[in-house]
This record gives sequence, C-alpha cells and structure tokens, in this order.
Amino acid sequence: MLKPQEPIPPDSSHFVSAESLRLRLDWFNKLRWGAVLGILLAMLVSGVLLRYALPMRPLLITVGVLALLNLIYVWRNRRQAPTAIRGEMRLVKLQMVGDLVALTVLLNLTGGIENPFFYLFVIHVIIASLLFKGREIYQITWLAIALFTTEVLLEYGSIIPHHHLLSASHLAHELPFILATLASFWLVMLFSAYMVASIMKHNRAIKDELVERQAALMAQDKAKTDFFRFVAHEVKSPVNTAQSAVETALELGGAQMKPAIEDMLQRGVRRLEQATEMVKDLADLTRGGMLKPEHQTVVDVTQMVFRVMENQQDMASRRGIKLVLEGDHQPVVVTTNKSMLEKIIHNLISNAVRYNKDKGCVTITLHDERTAIRLAVSDEGIGIAPEDKERIFEEFYRSDAAQRATNLGTGLGLSIVRKFVEEMGGQIELHSVPGEGSRFTLVLPRRATASTEIEGP
Amino acid sequence: MTKKTILVIDDDIDLVEIIRVTLENEGYEVIDAQNGDRGKAMARENNPDLILLDVMMGKVDEGFQVAYELRGDEKTKGIPILMLTAVVDQTGFDFDPSKDKDFLPVDEFMEKPISPRKLVDMVRKHLPTSV
Repeated sequence: MLKPQEPIPPDSSHFVSAESLRLRLDWFNKLRWGAVLGILLAMLVSGVLLRYALPMRPLLITVGVLALLNLIYVWRNRRQAPTAIRGEMRLVKLQMVGDLVALTVLLNLTGGIENPFFYLFVIHVIIASLLFKGREIYQITWLAIALFTTEVLLEYGSIIPHHHLLSASHLAHELPFILATLASFWLVMLFSAYMVASIMKHNRAIKDELVERQAALMAQDKAKTDFFRFVAHEVKSPVNTAQSAVETALELGGAQMKPAIEDMLQRGVRRLEQATEMVKDLADLTRGGMLKPEHQTVVDVTQMVFRVMENQQDMASRRGIKLVLEGDHQPVVVTTNKSMLEKIIHNLISNAVRYNKDKGCVTITLHDERTAIRLAVSDEGIGIAPEDKERIFEEFYRSDAAQRATNLGTGLGLSIVRKFVEEMGGQIELHSVPGEGSRFTLVLPRRATASTEIEGP
Repeated sequence: MTKKTILVIDDDIDLVEIIRVTLENEGYEVIDAQNGDRGKAMARENNPDLILLDVMMGKVDEGFQVAYELRGDEKTKGIPILMLTAVVDQTGFDFDPSKDKDFLPVDEFMEKPISPRKLVDMVRKHLPTSV
C-alpha cells in the first residue's frame, strides 16, 4: 500500500502500468490453460458419455492450436520483461482476437447457435472493456459480434457445415430462432461493453482526481515544511545574538546590578532560550533523510533512557519529582538514528517532568518484544483532556492545562515525537486521565526504517 | 607581557561586539573581520593567538573553506581555531564534531547562542590569560 507521503505513480492514472498489464497477461495465460482443459473435459463428457457425434479430429486440432499459441505466449512473457504499456496493450489485443477466432471455430464445431456456451463472447467483451478505452472496446465488441453472426449465418446458408449438438434439431436453420438469438446476443454484447466502459471511465476519472489532489496536498505539505525551515533559519541568528547580548549584559552588570534590572534580564534570557528551543525544534521538524542507512546505528535504549533521565534529574529534583526506570535494566537494542530516538525519549521524559505534580513520580518501563520495543513513560501530572488527545501532536498546539502549567513550552515537542515515530515505522499511544496523569507508549520496530512493518506474533 | 590577540571572523557585527566586550573584559585584545577574505588577510598580517570563526557567513560553507585555507597557509597553520556553529545551519558538510574531529581543520566547536561564561572558559583553555 502507498504511504500517504508517497506519490501515486502517474502510470496508474491510465489504470495500468506495463507491469500490472503483464500480470494480467499471465493471468490470461492461466485462464487459457483452463479453457483448453475445460474443452477437453467437455469433449470427453459430451462425446463419450452423452454420445454426441462431435467432429473429434478438427476439435482436437483447434484445441491443439490454442494450446500451442498459449505456450508461445507464456514463453514470450518469460523471456521478455514488460517495458512499454503500448507494446503490452497491442499483445493483449492480438491475443484477444486470437481467442475470439478460436472460440468461433470451436462453436462452429460444437453446434453453433445450438451451443449455449456462445455467451462466452460476453466474458471477452467485459475483459476488453476493463482493459481498453473508448474506441478499442467497441472494436473488440463488434469483432466478436461479427464473428459469431457470420458463423451463424454461414451455417444457416449451409456455406459451412453445421454440426448438430441436438440430434434431430433444425434450430440452426430456423430463421426466427436465429434472428431472435442474434438480437439478444447483440443486445447483451453491446450493453455489457457500454456498461463496463462507463463504469471504468468513471473510475479512471476518480483516480485521476485522486492523483491530482494528492499531488496538490504534497505540494502544500512541502510548502509548509519549507516555510518552517525558512522561518527557523531566519529567526535563528537574531535570537542567538539577542540571547548572547542579554547574557553578556548580565555578566557585565555583575553584583552591582539592581535586582529589578537583573530580574528583567533573567526573564529575557529565559524567553530567548525558549525561542532558541523553538528554532531547534523547527529544524528537527523540517529535516529529512535522517533514516538513511548511513545515519543508523545500533542503540542500547536502556542506556539512552538512563542518559536522558540524568539530564532531567536537576529539573526533577528541584520539584521533588522522582524518575524511575522499572525492570531489570537489561540492554534493549534497536537499529535506528540515534539522535532521533534520543529526541523522542527526551521529549517524552521532559514533558513527564514538566507537567508532573510536585513530588510526583515519572515511571518509565521498557519491554523487549520479539520484533519491537515498547517504551512507556507515565507521569502523575495534569493529564490530557480527551478532546486534546489528537491535537497535542499538532505543531504549536498547547492545551489550556499545559499553558497554565508553564509558558516555556515550544508546542513542538510532541509534533517531533509523532513525526519521528512515523518515519521510523513505529507507533505512539496515549492514555490519560485529566488531573491524574498521562502515559505515552512508544512502540518501535527493531530496525527503524521507514518501510518497516511490524510482523505479527 | 603583551596582551594575547584574538581574531573574530563573523559577519554578525552585534555578535562581534558581544564577543569583544566579553573577551576584552578578560584582558584579551580583540580584532575582527566581517568576511572570510578579510579574515584570512588579517590572520596573515596580525598573527593572532586564537581565531574565532563563524561557520555560516555569506556562503553556506565559507567558514569551513576559510579554516582549510588558514590550515594550508604556512603563516597561519599553527593558530588554534574555535569554530562557532548554529544548530540549524545547513553547512553542506554533514559533520558530527565528536566523530569527525580528526578530519576537520579546527580545534573546537562552540554552538550558538554563545554564552559569555562558556566562551571565556573555552578561550582560556586554549589561551591562558596573559595578565
């Protein structure tokens, strides 16, 4: 299945690619073997058991020719890789014409209009209507109509021999019967072609529109990413320099500074640090290609969690918050981009500290499953309202409760978590009760490539 | 003993002033250049004791080019270089300072925003104050 960020191949707007058409050709070859077997079986049943006087030799020759043709088709498909749609299409048409002629000959040998299997022509028309467009469909349809009509009329005029299927039947020479049958045949053929063609036309229009809309969406998404990157890049230097300037002013002021001035400058530094964090986060959100194989290494997640916990220890201790990694602390290994995973774990744990209650606990569990790892970070903090559960992953969204808790978040931490986890082929689950706490559970495949799928147990 | 001289090569004049105030306060002499070519010329003329070099100037990788050229020049190749980087920089060089250090023509990386205290520590490490 296509991932949302992958473009739909333009080929598919024509409904088929050379490869998909080849798959159909292979399928037709199988059907044709089925037809050969079916005819042989029918000959056996009708000739031996029902004792119809069928012209066995010409029948066998026709079936033999069909089998030989099919052998050639199969051989050709094996030898030649599918290239252009046009070439494959021409081959489909040619094979279909051959099949229609074979069907006509077989019908002539097995009772002509008396043989109820003449409606097999309809199947061919439906297949043609699925594969071809417009004029081509009706070319095949009219060819089939012409072949059968001619066969019936030639038998009627005794220009070619009629082989009785029903021993004493004169149906093949009853004009009203012939005309009524042919009229019904024409009607069913043309109506089938028309119906299937119009459904397919509609389907293709929907598909074209999907391709177009998806391209537009992707362009929009790229414009957004580019804009974020641009903003991050432009804002970075002024913010960095401003922060350095204020910090330098604090340094220069030293101990003689009025407390009110120092307080103002401290506030300035804090907010500029926040802006710097935002710039960094925006850079993370807009960076691509970080999961290329050359950027992946084997990472021990247990060690990484300990490292992040250590970084958060100061912040946590100040508010009497305990950080606990449960379990036996055995190494848990994944292959991934180290800094991406560290960012995910850092964001989850620092959120759990930031939005925890004072003297609360942050509990981390890490499970090594067969094809994936499962990391859960639980806090005892403000929690997340049900209506916010999706939105908190959006860029710059901060819940009311989060904003009341602190004005220093960037609103980008969980967006980064979601983006990275998606890129790694993992999942992030959220369980939360407002006022009691939240639990974020990260499930990551062992080898975090974008195309990885977690196998079931 | 004369003051040790530090050459700052950075196109952000505000940042140059911040660095100047901080380092002059610590007893260093600070000279500056606002682009790579001027910086290289000043390095040759003044033979500073340390160079602070911004990685991102006019061109994306100008800082790296300047560093390579300074290292390739007999007159300047012995001067320690402290490179200033910013996280969002797209340098064209996909570098990891901890890993690629041996291949890079600089002695130290310092991430912006520059904190005056860290800057002084870093400069002192390479260049003990003369006063």
